[in-house]
Amino acid sequence: MDVSQYLEIFIDETEEHLQTLSDCIMELEKEPENMDTINEIFRAAHSLKGMAGTMGFKRMQRLTHDMENVFQEVRSDKLKVNSSMIDLLFKCLDAIEAYLNNIKASSDEGTEDNELIIKELNDFIAEREGEAPKPEQPKKEQPMPEQQADEKKYFEFDMNESEKAKIKEAEEGGAHIYGMTVYIQKECLLKAARAFLVFKAVEECGQILVYNPSSQEIEDEHFENDFSFYIASEEPLEKVLDAAKAVSEIENVIGEEVSYAALAERQVQAEKTAAEEQKVKEESAAAAPAVQSAAPAAGQQPAKAQTANKKQAVAKPVTNRTVRVDIEKLDALMNQVSELIIAKNSLVSIGSADSGDFQSQSFHEQIESLERITTNLHESVMKVRMVPIESVVNKFPRMIRDLSRKLNKKMELYITGEETELDRTVVDQIGDPLQHLLRNSADHGLEDNETRIALGKPEVGSIFLNAFQEGNNVIIQVGDDGAGIDVAAVRNKAVERGVITEEQAESMSQKEIINLLFLPSFSMAKKVTDISGRGVGLDVVKSNIEALGGDVEVKTALGEGTTFTVRLPLTLAIIQALMVEIRDEKYAIALGSISNIEEIPVKDIKYVEAQEVIHLRGKVIPLVRLDQVLDIPSREEPESLTVVIVMKGDNMAGLVVDNLIGQQEIVIKSLGKYINNNKIISGATILGDGEVALILDVNTLM
Amino acid sequence: MANNNLEIVEKESKQYIVVLVGSEQYGIDISYIDNIVRMQKITRVPKAQPYIKGMINLRGEVVPVMSVRKKMGLEDDVFTNSSRIIILKLEESGSFGIIVDEVKGVVNLGDDEIDNVSNKGKFINGIGKHGDELISLLEINAIVDENV
Repeated sequence: MDVSQYLEIFIDETEEHLQTLSDCIMELEKEPENMDTINEIFRAAHSLKGMAGTMGFKRMQRLTHDMENVFQEVRSDKLKVNSSMIDLLFKCLDAIEAYLNNIKASSDEGTEDNELIIKELNDFIAEREGEAPKPEQPKKEQPMPEQQADEKKYFEFDMNESEKAKIKEAEEGGAHIYGMTVYIQKECLLKAARAFLVFKAVEECGQILVYNPSSQEIEDEHFENDFSFYIASEEPLEKVLDAAKAVSEIENVIGEEVSYAALAERQVQAEKTAAEEQKVKEESAAAAPAVQSAAPAAGQQPAKAQTANKKQAVAKPVTNRTVRVDIEKLDALMNQVSELIIAKNSLVSIGSADSGDFQSQSFHEQIESLERITTNLHESVMKVRMVPIESVVNKFPRMIRDLSRKLNKKMELYITGEETELDRTVVDQIGDPLQHLLRNSADHGLEDNETRIALGKPEVGSIFLNAFQEGNNVIIQVGDDGAGIDVAAVRNKAVERGVITEEQAESMSQKEIINLLFLPSFSMAKKVTDISGRGVGLDVVKSNIEALGGDVEVKTALGEGTTFTVRLPLTLAIIQALMVEIRDEKYAIALGSISNIEEIPVKDIKYVEAQEVIHLRGKVIPLVRLDQVLDIPSREEPESLTVVIVMKGDNMAGLVVDNLIGQQEIVIKSLGKYINNNKIISGATILGDGEVALILDVNTLM
Repeated sequence: MANNNLEIVEKESKQYIVVLVGSEQYGIDISYIDNIVRMQKITRVPKAQPYIKGMINLRGEVVPVMSVRKKMGLEDDVFTNSSRIIILKLEESGSFGIIVDEVKGVVNLGDDEIDNVSNKGKFINGIGKHGDELISLLEINAIVDENV
């Protein structure tokens, strides 16, 4: 049977369990005695083991099994949690994650046995075993429930002649024949997979002769919670039973040795009643009593399962009413919504262009209602694609803990706003840049403990990660209370490296100098460590974030700390934009970055350092002549200019345009790979009349 | 038997779209061609490479259009009624359009009709002979290549 269809579920669930484990182990480190945490870890390790087993990932199963054993000991108070155990457990998690990555890449767990880790795990147990009495064996050895006659379903089905012959033949060949019925837990999701694994396990002991239901039906999951089979084996019954029980989510396995003679007798008995009366009739009649006798057994089944269910229900958390959807399907949906919006836009432009006779009021009303619907639809689809950044930031406490050890600095990470939601594609890609910034804070930002004490700061350094939504953006701040950036040192280094000249350095503001850090190959680390400082630093962070349509800013105070502010758009595909006209060309400016629009008389333009500026309500705002930037032929200067004031963080700029066309929902399309490194234009869009308009990237214009 | 023959024929001849750029006839391997469209409004992209004419809307997709003339160092395009944009599709980098003065038609060229002249230009990978006419076979990758 093929389990690949379950692979995705397996990967998702394994990731969840790994996260739970990581969180719990962190907690355990702080509170080694917390029974709830220990139980939680035990449960997660146990589920991991079960899932790995189901999917046939033996190495992973083995590792998790040994982990579970250690926790069994901890749980029964025979082992104490100490820091070396925590370290080892984290190593286990890394190893499991490595398996998972292999599985993701190739559907195979790889060949790493992690013997070392397993040995260390077993050493923990062995260490204790000398002193402590032998631990209770897990459930397996608990007294088996009373076998009831009607649980032995293997007596209850009919065999045809060839099947009977097979059994007879095997018996004559000297093998033991065992009849077995396997009950699967009622909550089990992958019944067919379990059955498959049971078959696989018992077939190592012998050969399965007869299935009920048929193997095809089992594969297709056409069965209730149990199935029966006859197996011919050289091994003792116990071994076969154990092999079957070792598969997880198996509730019970019942089996006994049978002989062909006894079997045949039972069969004959069962058939007698029916067969004697209807001897002459068709063969099929023989099936009837079997169906009848199966019915009461099936009736009993729910009752039994229900009690089992009650027990389990306590342990299992309430499942959310959610559906897992492939992101590609959402992408497809988003594309369709984009198409719809383009189509809607062209309807709108037809509606406003033709002032002809067919124009009725209801036409306009319908267009307006269509606009509302598409906007709502877009919002809904966008919301579906939003996921909390939790999945990304959850990994960081562990990372900081490891860094703290590696760097031998005491530090604590404080995270707020992990529930902030972002588009799934952004969340998937924001992990690396954030991780980089955090490493930076840990390595370069925070001073070592002695320096901190000498400076009168708390010994333990703080690193924080705050996420929140601000308008159409999500802001993620990563910062520390460390040394801050030494602006003079950055300037000297930049001059030394020939990035800027001495004269340039003189005239640069503090902010401009700090921004030099984002240039490629400008690493400030005094020594290269494996944590950071390899020169592939902030420039990569910056370009990654810009690729997501965001930007990053630094604020620093010497001796007080540094904060990086990452600003990301809520959505990538569709934005509200202001359409402007410059001569006969149309451009879109994202509405989110526009602060206000002004009509400025030319005579009000002032000059600061030969740069045109306007003075507006106490602020000096530089003017950007879009026609010059965009190589558009100049025109005769009018008396007043239409200026779109855009804002990015604290920076403002006034973009000079000819005309405003209006606000529009636009679908962002990429310019493709053939157009060179064009930073002023962030993309293109298709207008209602089918024309292509370019989208201005406001960030690069400032 | 019949099948075998057919295969041989296919192997030995390729279909080319014959276009006119300036005074020269060029052949474009038909397997690269996605579509041929009439001239339409091209949106200029500021600061792009000089040979990039701009972007067009091809059934809802934004596709860049290049000028082969500019790329080859000829004088600028003059758009006429017979000007066409040929949309080419390359596997690794997607679709793009090139502007030609006229589309003449389709020819079948066998291997024996193609001359691999040694002094060919960088944009040509051979010369096809179709009757009396000579057709320069366009090297598509050179047109896309940034460095040529």
